[in-house]
Amino acid sequence: MEVTSVVQLDQTEAKDECLNLSLRPLQVSDVDDFMVWASDEKVTRFCTWEPYTNKEDGLNYIKNKVVPHPWFRAICVDDRPVGAISVSANSGNDKCRGELGYVLASKYWGKGIVTRAVKMVVDTIFVEWPHLERLEALVDVENVGSQRVLEKAGFQREGVLRKYFILKGRSRDMVMFSLLSTDYQS
Amino acid sequence: MDPSRISLRQFHLPDVDDFLKWASDEKVTRYLRWNTITSREEALSYLQKVAIPQTYRRSICLDDRSIGYVSIKPGSGNDKSRARLGYAVSAEYWGQGIATATLNMAVANAFTEFQGLVRVEALVEVENVGSQRVLEKVGFLK
Repeated sequence: MEVTSVVQLDQTEAKDECLNLSLRPLQVSDVDDFMVWASDEKVTRFCTWEPYTNKEDGLNYIKNKVVPHPWFRAICVDDRPVGAISVSANSGNDKCRGELGYVLASKYWGKGIVTRAVKMVVDTIFVEWPHLERLEALVDVENVGSQRVLEKAGFQREGVLRKYFILKGRSRDMVMFSLLSTDYQS
Repeated sequence: MDPSRISLRQFHLPDVDDFLKWASDEKVTRYLRWNTITSREEALSYLQKVAIPQTYRRSICLDDRSIGYVSIKPGSGNDKSRARLGYAVSAEYWGQGIATATLNMAVANAFTEFQGLVRVEALVEVENVGSQRVLEKVGFLK
């Protein structure tokens, strides 16, 4: 499960700058850009993983986890990866449900990038996966910025799952958000 | 209902006929993720392949005869702190507080038995009001 790390750095609502944003597959050749966010402690704070310290680990991650992933995209500004967004797939009776995860380089926080990326995902995932009825996301109760991303993207806050998950040795309360294919259509 | 008549234990193959009685009842299996059992062969197979090997699954017994089941399954890896609860009771014994009494026992056992268990959760269909009430009585938070 990937968790999110977008935080508003100011008290005021950050302006949505007109950045050239796109989503595309993340490749092995993107490893240097990947290392920028993956090695940043601020970024990995709410992630299950520790910051990456060497490029070889980054390459292995991209080769072994990203490339075979059912739906994984680099978030690009002017065609350069600055983060990633993904939807996990389930099988059998859980097929109607996918989990959203995202991560963004801290330099790009506070500009509405992830909100836009989430909306772009929502626009395509229900069409690419017609069996998908529910897109959900779990966010640490302290990760307020990420909660705001999901609210702005139209997700519904369903409730708090207490001590749901162990993150870096501590059990954490998580907020459950969801967007249904029917919410999206209406 | 005298609570000392209720017990929890592992399933054994000789439970097959008692197991079949409630596991073949659609009223009982309606909200369960596993399919209603329709024959003694299926019942034997299910006990052998699923119920007995699953160390976290117990038979709910009345006078040592199976009238239902409870399972508390912890996750693996990062999810070891969290376990999923499932249960069913023979329709013949509904409304007597058996599920409530059993779950109290089972949940207390689970926190002792499973190292690092912090959270037990249960998912109940919105229509299954009876089951929601059981969980509330046992002290689960909705």
